[in-house]
Amino acid sequence: MKILLVDDEVELVSAMAERLSLRGIDADWTDSGEKALGMARQCEYDIAVLDMKMPKLNGLELRRQLSVICPPMKFIFLSGHGSVSDFEAGSAEAESYLIKPIRIEDLISKIEEATR
Amino acid sequence: MTPTTSNSRDDLQFFGKINASASHEIKNVFAVINEAAGLVEDLTLMSEKGMPIEPERLKRVAKSIQGQIRRGDDIIKNMNAFAHSMDEGAKEVNLEETLGLTVALSTRMADMKQIGLEQGKCEPATALVCPFDLMRLLHGVIAAALDTMTQGSVLTVAARPSTDGATFTISSSGQVITLENDTAFAELAKQMNATITNNEKDGVLELFLKKTA
Repeated sequence: MKILLVDDEVELVSAMAERLSLRGIDADWTDSGEKALGMARQCEYDIAVLDMKMPKLNGLELRRQLSVICPPMKFIFLSGHGSVSDFEAGSAEAESYLIKPIRIEDLISKIEEATR
Repeated sequence: MTPTTSNSRDDLQFFGKINASASHEIKNVFAVINEAAGLVEDLTLMSEKGMPIEPERLKRVAKSIQGQIRRGDDIIKNMNAFAHSMDEGAKEVNLEETLGLTVALSTRMADMKQIGLEQGKCEPATALVCPFDLMRLLHGVIAAALDTMTQGSVLTVAARPSTDGATFTISSSGQVITLENDTAFAELAKQMNATITNNEKDGVLELFLKKTA
């Protein structure tokens, strides 16, 4: 299983990738939607974990573009926002929606659920 | 208290917008600290199982936590100063300080558009205004200017005294910034005796605050 983590908070997304890797989960990360699209061209990711609010390409738009590149890819949204509209939009278009700060165990559980 | 010039619903919308942006940033600060602390916990558990920890790895995490605490502290300081801008009505306001606070509170908005926002070199200037109204007006002008700009550019705002008042210059090297008297802040500008001028020659936008008695 291979995971793509996308969040414009570099220190957050790099630490998250390191923690997943310590648990034996292969995770790549990037801080921009555009870079994520480039990384996904080979379609080697099973699941993408995307921040909802990012500069230029937000999580929802990035999810749509990633789905075109790699239709089987599953998605989990992360948000620090937590507004009702954000939650409804995110939940409708992804397997899960988590509010930051997250527990790594919750993320892993959602990853397992999504790829089951 | 001297009454402010603005409409209370617009004031509340602006107050809410700034608070939503700042609270979102604070959530990100907590999220980074949470991951960094989790990573230290993971490394400690690994160490207990016999895996050596590289001191550099721990130093890097500690530095990240310290940096995020400074970032969070700055956000809270700015939020507090912003909240207190409603304490009084019109008063003699240091324009450089108020501009600095407005730029800090508007930076995330610019970041989301992938445009840089900076305070330019200011000359000492003051004006008799309600600081909250001034921040709302400046934020409105900055937001409208950002909408006209291309990604990767930088918007610079500076303050200086001028005849019969003070002027804010809004500029971006290599780009002409022109604004109509946008409806979002036109009424407030009018109430504050402020006028916006497009200098088509050099592309610099000027926000002039007329001195009031």
